[in-house]
Amino acid sequence: MKPALLTERFYDLVAPDIPNEWDVEEVLESLIDESDHVCEAILGHIPIIWPVSHSLCFDFLRLLPKTLEHLNLEQIPRWIGITLDHYETDGLRAAQRFMQDDIDQYLSKLKGCGGLSLASIEKKLLPYIRGIARNDLQIEQAGISYTDTTSIYVPEELNFSPNNDDNFLLYKYILTFQWGFIACGSFINKAPSEFTHIECDKDTFWLRSFFASFEEPLLARDIYHCLESIRVQSFLEQELPGLMRAAGKHLFPLISLRNKNHPLSTLQQVLIEDNLKQGSLLDHYLSKRERKQYLQGQASVYDSINLSSKMFSKFHQKNAEYIPISPLPFQGILKLRAVETARKIKEQKMGEHFADMMAAYLLTLSRKELGDLHKEDKLDSGNEGLAESDISLIMDSEFAQTADQDKEAPILITINNEQLELPAELEEFTKNFLDEFGHLPANFLSSAAGKAGQAMLEQDVQGQTEESSKQKDTLLYDEWDYRRQGYRKNWCSLHFKELTPIHSPFIQNTLDKYHGLTIRLRHQFEMMRSQERFVKRQREGDDIDFDALVESISDSRAGISSSDRLFIRLKRDERDIAVLFLVDMSNSTAGWVNNALKESLVLMSEAMEVLGDRYGIYGFSGMRRARCEFFHVKHLNESYGEQVKERIGSIAPSEYTRMGPPIRHATSILKEVDAKVRLIITLTDGKPEDYDDYKGEYAIEDTRHALLEAKTVDIHPFCITIDHQAKDYMQHMYGPANYIFIDNVRKLPLRIPEIYRVLTS
Amino acid sequence: MEIKETRLEEHLITQEPYYLASGKEIEIAISAHRNCLPLLLKGPTGCGKTRFMQFLAWKLQRPLITVSCHDDLSTSDLVGRFLIRSGEAVWMDGPLTLAVRAGAICYLDEIVEARKDTTVVIHPLADDRRELPVEKLGELLLAPPEFMISVSYNPGYQSVLKDLKPSTRQRFVAISFDYPNPQMEAEIVCKEGGVDKKLADSLVKLAGMTRSLKESGLTEGASTRLLIQTGLLVQDGIDIHTACRAALIEPLSDAPELLAALQEMVSSIF
Ligand SMILES: Nc1ncnc2c1ncn2[C@@H]1O[C@H](COP(=O)(O)OP(=O)(O)OP(=O)(O)O)[C@@H](O)[C@H]1O
Ligand SMILES: [Mg+2]
Repeated sequence: MKPALLTERFYDLVAPDIPNEWDVEEVLESLIDESDHVCEAILGHIPIIWPVSHSLCFDFLRLLPKTLEHLNLEQIPRWIGITLDHYETDGLRAAQRFMQDDIDQYLSKLKGCGGLSLASIEKKLLPYIRGIARNDLQIEQAGISYTDTTSIYVPEELNFSPNNDDNFLLYKYILTFQWGFIACGSFINKAPSEFTHIECDKDTFWLRSFFASFEEPLLARDIYHCLESIRVQSFLEQELPGLMRAAGKHLFPLISLRNKNHPLSTLQQVLIEDNLKQGSLLDHYLSKRERKQYLQGQASVYDSINLSSKMFSKFHQKNAEYIPISPLPFQGILKLRAVETARKIKEQKMGEHFADMMAAYLLTLSRKELGDLHKEDKLDSGNEGLAESDISLIMDSEFAQTADQDKEAPILITINNEQLELPAELEEFTKNFLDEFGHLPANFLSSAAGKAGQAMLEQDVQGQTEESSKQKDTLLYDEWDYRRQGYRKNWCSLHFKELTPIHSPFIQNTLDKYHGLTIRLRHQFEMMRSQERFVKRQREGDDIDFDALVESISDSRAGISSSDRLFIRLKRDERDIAVLFLVDMSNSTAGWVNNALKESLVLMSEAMEVLGDRYGIYGFSGMRRARCEFFHVKHLNESYGEQVKERIGSIAPSEYTRMGPPIRHATSILKEVDAKVRLIITLTDGKPEDYDDYKGEYAIEDTRHALLEAKTVDIHPFCITIDHQAKDYMQHMYGPANYIFIDNVRKLPLRIPEIYRVLTS
Repeated sequence: MEIKETRLEEHLITQEPYYLASGKEIEIAISAHRNCLPLLLKGPTGCGKTRFMQFLAWKLQRPLITVSCHDDLSTSDLVGRFLIRSGEAVWMDGPLTLAVRAGAICYLDEIVEARKDTTVVIHPLADDRRELPVEKLGELLLAPPEFMISVSYNPGYQSVLKDLKPSTRQRFVAISFDYPNPQMEAEIVCKEGGVDKKLADSLVKLAGMTRSLKESGLTEGASTRLLIQTGLLVQDGIDIHTACRAALIEPLSDAPELLAALQEMVSSIF
């Protein structure tokens, strides 16, 4: 690439920063002779490194010739990732050292074959750690182990011992140990009373400010990390003694301290010694009482804070630069920034939930109060939502002062200077938020007000939409509004649409791809069809029903007319089942999900043909209540022919997921059908959500109601949800045992027929 | 087939059964009995429903007649039938009729397993008519105030064919059962499984872990009953790992990955 072009591209990438031209030209020199392809690939990394550290970015470019000798372009991104890990945990020097000197080591690690890969055991360890933690932690992969409190990061591969049992045990121990930090509350974000003087802005974790208050923050961090590791370990001794025994026997003897001369190595050594030796190792640093506390699991996180602060001077050497100690393999690192980020994400999610709840609450207020909010909204059109002065959340300060206990203080909301008390549910949520994040979710108020205002606007245009929906291919359905615990009459209009059949090899490809499975399914479904059982008390049959016979004789002796149903017959069970499949065609299904949905429909149809149950298939999507759409794929009594196949092939993601209307319509179809069992099976990829205020609790409650309506007319709804993670609301929305959630889309085609089989036998 | 008169005394529970209440279930049930209302117990398997009924029957000093429902259960099985005894037709009360006559408590366990045409016979008994027509005798029995009908079912099963009809379920006072809280559950395991407190605590901890695996594919975690059974094996000299494997893990699942994960939990705890 030409030097001028290179420089120009570089400045584009780092804008708005304008680094010194000399420096830039110097570091880019190495790229001049490279091909455009290589240059683009390298330049692509700049936006990743630059914001983290400018110097590191320059170093990266300066060292390029050497790097490119060792690594190919595909290997570079991971290598950069690890470099940045080093930067974040141990600073610029460590990262530079890694980039410059450790390439060979990195490469030999990469090549190191054997070992145990995370992929091969994740299926086993994920339920393990979720069981241990009793919540839905994730396992992710990273160069160095750590946890951000929602996921635990572990290496992609472990080559700790030639024996893979040991490697497995180490994986297990790392996961458990990292969970230990969460369970023991190591990621403390609230200043203990002795340390309230340390300044901490609200986006920073208090612990990080605590470390920063030392002359050598990394040393403070490492001391704290060691102490907390000891605490975690004694916690695990008590909670999971079996694991600790195994670790003591198989892991600890294999671990050697990497830097024996490091001032903290004694503390670290405690983690791999037996109880006897632990005490004597700590002798030097802890008082007898403290030792006992730490080794018997009675120490608290505050003890570690206090001790770190006390011990710091013991380890601090004034003129020498502190080099961080390498952690033991299971210890991992404290990555407070990651914890901060995870927390922010959680805060955002909870805040959005709060906004939804709050908007719902605002809508229950009298029209007049809301109208006021709304008007101001319009006046001040440059500002979306409300100014914060119009609506705010406060703790009842009077109460807080007298009771001297903020927990008890009621939370009030003021709207245009009027104070209102929050409904209990909202107040509890708000308090939980306060507990967890240390402040009220005030910044989500304007979003709530905005949402409420939007919903009001839409209510106003209700009159107009009613007109246009009175067409022949449209039906109106009510919608449940949980806030007023009643239906909004004729609220949604459902339009019936046809999918344009398209010729595509989709069906054939699917059948080819799942050839074996289709055969197996057909066989299985055939077995279901010919479910046979003996029925007693028949007028004719192959065998005499002795119970009935005896009864009949007794009856006639007693002078009662006796029954003539005296035979047993082998009967093929009539499967009198009608089922409608409702397929989510919302935009979010684009890609793999849509494809898997269609494949599943193909396999399901093939199997259903053998079984003979009546079935229909419809798709749904739409945008806003005025335009919900219901797509015909196959009616109940339609045969599974070319047209249907082509329509399955042409199912494509469209708009949003308003689930109420399609479920209500499916109910009305099935209501007219005479069958012993009537089923609605919905296939979706997550929460119901429309463009307007059909979201959150409102959408969940409406969907739940639509499902309940189906149940009251003896139709069984069942929902299959594809999502990465099961959500709390599912159980509530679908009812226990009325849904199943699938986390791997690719498994869907396999699972659906299986689910259907379990459901109906 | 030998015919035996069912003797009512056999159904009277004379010794206080061990039952640890976790909420107001005893008060509710006694009040339901006082007001002649039928009872519906729902909850996962092995959480103490049957035991609760035994306790209630003892407390009320009424005989407890239990029928385990299955899909071959016929109306005659419940109401009664004629039998021939030395050439004579003799009427034999079924358990339900017996209970009505004696003012006993009739407990239909796992009612969803019975066919729907069988369950309708309890309808007139379960509302304020409180009557049982015995067609073959041409009798209409009126239940005395002491009589109580109670049914149980487990809402966790997924087959829609096994759901309770709204017209059936809306006749009952319903009590929802769940596993007791850890301290209480450990106490129960101690007492019933004959193990020491420490082991009971660990078993309960393990059960808690298995119960949080709903979304990982384990629809029902280990029940109190499984813990007790594990305890009994241990008490009998089986080592804890083997006992857990046989009495706790294997009964829960057949999926190899889940089994492996459960095994890892066991080896971590013990
Ligand atoms: N609250 C309790 N107090 C005393 N023992 C209990 C309690 N809960 C459970 N148990 C013990 O658990 C065992 C299983 O309980 P039980 O047989 O009553 O379960 P169940 O709910 O009837 O289960 P299923 O639905 O499978 O029939 C009992 O034998 C008893 O030992
Ligand atoms: Mg029982």
